[in-house]
Order: sequence, then structure tokens, then C-alpha cells
Amino acid sequence: MKAFQRGVLVASIAVAVSVVVKVRSKGPVPPTSGGWRELQGPDFR
Amino acid sequence: MKTVLVAGLGEVGIRAARQLIDTPGVDRVIVAARRLEHSREVAAALHDGAEPYRLGRDDALPAELDAVVAALPGDADAALARRAVGAGIPYASAADRDATLRSLLALDIEAQSRDTRVVVGCGLAPGLTDVLARHAVGALDAVDELHVARWGVAGSESVAEARRTQREEAREWREGELVHEKHRHGELIWFPDPVGARECELVATGVELLVAANPGAGRVTARLGVPPVKRFTPPGRRDPGLGWGAVRVEAWGWRGTARTSVVYGVIERTAVAAGTVLGVTGALLCGALPGLEGAPGSGAFGLGAVVEPVPFLAELARRGVKAAAFEGVAVA
Repeated sequence: MKAFQRGVLVASIAVAVSVVVKVRSKGPVPPTSGGWRELQGPDFR
Repeated sequence: MKTVLVAGLGEVGIRAARQLIDTPGVDRVIVAARRLEHSREVAAALHDGAEPYRLGRDDALPAELDAVVAALPGDADAALARRAVGAGIPYASAADRDATLRSLLALDIEAQSRDTRVVVGCGLAPGLTDVLARHAVGALDAVDELHVARWGVAGSESVAEARRTQREEAREWREGELVHEKHRHGELIWFPDPVGARECELVATGVELLVAANPGAGRVTARLGVPPVKRFTPPGRRDPGLGWGAVRVEAWGWRGTARTSVVYGVIERTAVAAGTVLGVTGALLCGALPGLEGAPGSGAFGLGAVVEPVPFLAELARRGVKAAAFEGVAVA
């Protein structure tokens, strides 16, 4: 019974940690550097 | 007097009708739905700039049409296209499923014999991506890879179509043949903000249209990302990109002796962008926007094969759908 309670406790902590990490994460890091510029000019480049 | 029929009055069809009404060369816009009551409501919402019409499977097409634009589900789209081509009327479709695109392209010979045109894939992707792809390829001396991606859907019917597309076989063009890709390879694609990075799956839709319009490309892929339906969002975690649609086109090739890439993107409400592309194509087909046409001729084509990219993109920009170029270092 004690082992079961310990297992439940460990699982609960794992779920709580994963929720915190998911909520606080900043998202993926772009594999590029630069930015977007509106197309302009006669050639629309 | 130029008359255009808009069939299918969902979110895309209504926006296409709005664009046609706002085109000076188009004199009359007819909005058609299976229920006359619905078409009347839409005509009234367009401040009576359009005429309502009931168009069931057995109802006759209105007289003296110069073009038909359609934002209909697959079977209804192909059936209406057959009727329009049979009557010699140019037809533009916003269909975005591979099976529908094929059935529309199968009207090629009949369209040629009737001296009319069927333009397929006149939405966000296929559609705007095809025009951007041609524009990107035009900036290179030689192209070897072309990758397009779309994020976003334009209403509940569009969600269902997109999910069906993702369940279908994924295919890509590799060195002269269409290859069935077993693994969909969900990949992060970087769209303009606020959409940003989204996971998009490999799909078959539109690959053949891109190959037909850009025969030099050795590898062509298309990807699609569908926004999740979220029932609960934690406070402060609202996704600003969920309501938007976006496309990204990446062409790799050679400029002189240097291998380089050209990346274009667009962000707009999905229905607005798709409706604008469809409306402008309808105006082009009825002869109201003659400067946008690339290669006149009869038959069935993808949008990328029939328009001149620069004036077409300029016309879209004038109507608020603006393309952007990525400046920086893209990673292949």
C-alpha cells in the first residue's frame, strides 16, 4: 500500500511539473535569423 | 455588360462576391445558393449590390454569364464546373482537395473544345501559393526545390476538408515523379507573425499544379497546418495566431553560381485572402481585369499557370492582401 501511495505521489509531481513547464515555455526557437518585409516596387520584390 | 455568378455562399464565397462588386469592370454579380432564402440574406448583407439566385443541381444557370466562381464542396463543385464548361462559361474554383482538383482538371479537353477556361485552386493554397511560387521562381536563374505551406482554415466546412486532406495519401514531387510519402513528417514552418511557427503536415494537394506551372523544380512539397479547436485556454496563454491564415513559399535554386533561396509569405484572415483571390480570378476571367492575365488560352489550369504574378500580386495588395519577403538566412 505504501509503495502504491509513493507511486501516486511521484506521478502527481511529474504531472504538476510538466504542466508548469508547458504553461511557462516560450515556444520553439526559429531556425532562421531575419524578418519579413512587405513586397514593393515595380518588380514587387 | 459583365456578369459573374458566385456559387457557394460560405465565408469564402461571400468575400469573393464582395470583391467582385468592388471591381469597376464587373457590372452584375449574382449570388447563388441551394436555398433562395440564403442567397437573399447574402445579397442583403452585401447592401443589395448582388442579385440572389437559387441554384440547385437541377436549376438552370442564369442567362448571359461571363464567368462563374465557386466556393463549393467537392462533388457540387465538379458538377457545376461541367455545366459551366458545357455552356462555354469560364469557371474559377476555390477547391483545395486533391480529388476535386483532379476532377476539375479532367475538364481540360472539353474546355478546349468549348473555347473556355477552368481555373482550379483559386484560394489560399492552392491558389495564392502558386502565384507566389511563380514569382519566387522568376527571381532565380534556375530552381531546384519548391516548398509551399499553408496554415489556417476558412470556416467549419473548410476544417472538415482540411482534415480529410491530411488523412489522404501524402505525395511529393521528386526528380520527375510523384512519390507517395509514407511519413507525413510534421515540420515546423515559420510564417509571418502573429502566426509564427506552426507544425504542418505533408499533403498531396496542389503539388501537381505547382509542378505544371514550374516544370524546372526537381523537388516540390506542399504542407498544411490546421489550427486546433481549443475548448479551454489557460489565462494569459491565448494563441494570437489562431484566427489567422498564412502561407509560406520557399524556392531554392541558383542565381549565377550561388545557391540561394527566395521566401515569400502572406498573412490575412483565411476567408478574406481566399475570397479575394477567387474574386480577382473571377474578374480576370470575365475580362474586367485584362492586365493580370499571363497566358490566354482555353483548357483547365492551376492559377499559377494563367496569371502574370506581378500585376496579380499588386492587385491583391491593392485590395489588402499583401505579400512579404523573408530577409535573412533560411535553413534548407
